[in-house]
This record gives sequence, C-alpha cells and structure tokens, in this order.
Amino acid sequence: MDNVEREGAELDIILESIGGYSLIGLSGEVDVYSAPKLRETIKDLVDKGAYNIIVDLEKVAFLDSTGLGVLVGGLKRVKHHDGELGIICGQEKILRIFRITGLTKVFPIYASRDEVLARAEEA
Amino acid sequence: MPGDEGTAFELEMPAKAKYVGLARLLAGSIARRMRFTEESIDDLKIAISEMCTNAIVHTENGKEGKAQILVRYLAGDGFLTIEVRDEGPGFDTEQVLGRESNDLLGKGFGIPLIRSLVDVFECESHPQGGTYVSVTKFLDGESMES
Repeated sequence: MDNVEREGAELDIILESIGGYSLIGLSGEVDVYSAPKLRETIKDLVDKGAYNIIVDLEKVAFLDSTGLGVLVGGLKRVKHHDGELGIICGQEKILRIFRITGLTKVFPIYASRDEVLARAEEA
Repeated sequence: MPGDEGTAFELEMPAKAKYVGLARLLAGSIARRMRFTEESIDDLKIAISEMCTNAIVHTENGKEGKAQILVRYLAGDGFLTIEVRDEGPGFDTEQVLGRESNDLLGKGFGIPLIRSLVDVFECESHPQGGTYVSVTKFLDGESMES
C-alpha cells in the first residue's frame, strides 16, 4: 500500500463568508476519523469570535453520528454566545439522518446557499 | 441470524479510526453486489460505521497498540448480516441500550440510528469480556419499501 494515511476518510474544508455568516464548506466523508478536523475548525472560528456559522454539507458523501455530535457540539458553542449554527443540505440521504435523530428541530436547515442569502437579506 | 449460512467475509483490523472507512467500503461493495438499493446501501454503511466507531471507543482507539476488531460480513440468500466484535472492557447492555434520551442535544445518536436503519439489531456485551454487535438487512425489505 503506497500511502497508509489515505485509508482514513478524507474531508476537505473550505472557509468562506456568506450573508454575514462564516461558512464551512465540507467535501468528503465525516466519520470518527475525520470529524476531529471539523470540530477544530468550528472551535477555531468561535474562539476568533465568529458566532454565526453555516456548515455546507452539499458535497458530503457520508455523515454518521460522530459528525452529528460535532455539529451539535458546535451548536452548543455558538448558542453560548447567542449565535446560530445552520446547515446547508439538499441531499436526501444526509437529511434523513437529521430527521431520524430529530435534529431537524434543532438546526436551521437551508436547501442552498441562495436560501441562506435570501434569509440574510430578510433579516 | 437467518438459517442460510451464506458466504462469509472477515476483516480483522486495528481498532483505529482511520480503518473505519475500509470496513464501510467493504460493506457497501458487498451490499451493492447483492443488489440492495442505494438507500439500503447507505443505511448499511452508516450502521457499520457506528458499530466500528463504538468498538474503537470501547477499546480506547487502540491505544494499547495491539487492539483489534473483527468485522464479519455474511451475505445470505436475501439478507446481509454484519457483525463487529471487539475485546474492549464491555458494558452493561441493559443500561446502555435501554437508555432513551429526550434531550436532542444529548449524546448517543449511534445506537438509535443503527436500530432505525436495519431490520435486526443484536448486541451482547460482558464486563471485561468484549462486545458483539450484529445487524441484518433483508433484501425483502426492498420490495416492501417500494
């Protein structure tokens, strides 16, 4: 095997700004191996004073309960500062996980970046 | 599980987070060859991921260096069973599996998630005796769902 490290789930993270939110764009798989990378990213943003965060899951191919746990942890962090952590996701296979766990009642969920922008303009 | 012994595949791997993706990949490949729907394949991939994650947590992420977990895939006539065994310290199954939380922000999405995604869920754990978790998904469920 030429690169053992590549056996773990790959997760790319891109940081952007959108409609007054800090946007975390994810691409790849979020599991027990890759989730700490997301946890650190959220923690760093909050530590720097970014309390309104959107996590874009549109390019996420896989998400399990470890990933959900990190998002819930992030939500608790921003709530502590009266902030908000929203999710962008139009993928049924990912949305289903939020629905099964009841987390659609907890996270603001947007179908697209355009919906986030529209919401920001309304506010 | 069901009477038909089927074809078994085994993956013995270090109890390390980076190998969970391999167990998931194999589950997806077997399920796809068995002609499960994409939704069922996703269900099985989440289930195996949760099972392996729990096994790794129970064995403290292979910190002792030698901890292994054993994943067994049994492809039978109309069903796929996936079993995960670890040699961690085990836990009180009644206490852990019987726990229901009304706190949506509380921990513990894994077991409820597995239960909702598969047709059969079994778990045996003994203090100091390791843990065995098994899930089965039936192909019959495909036609029932459609």
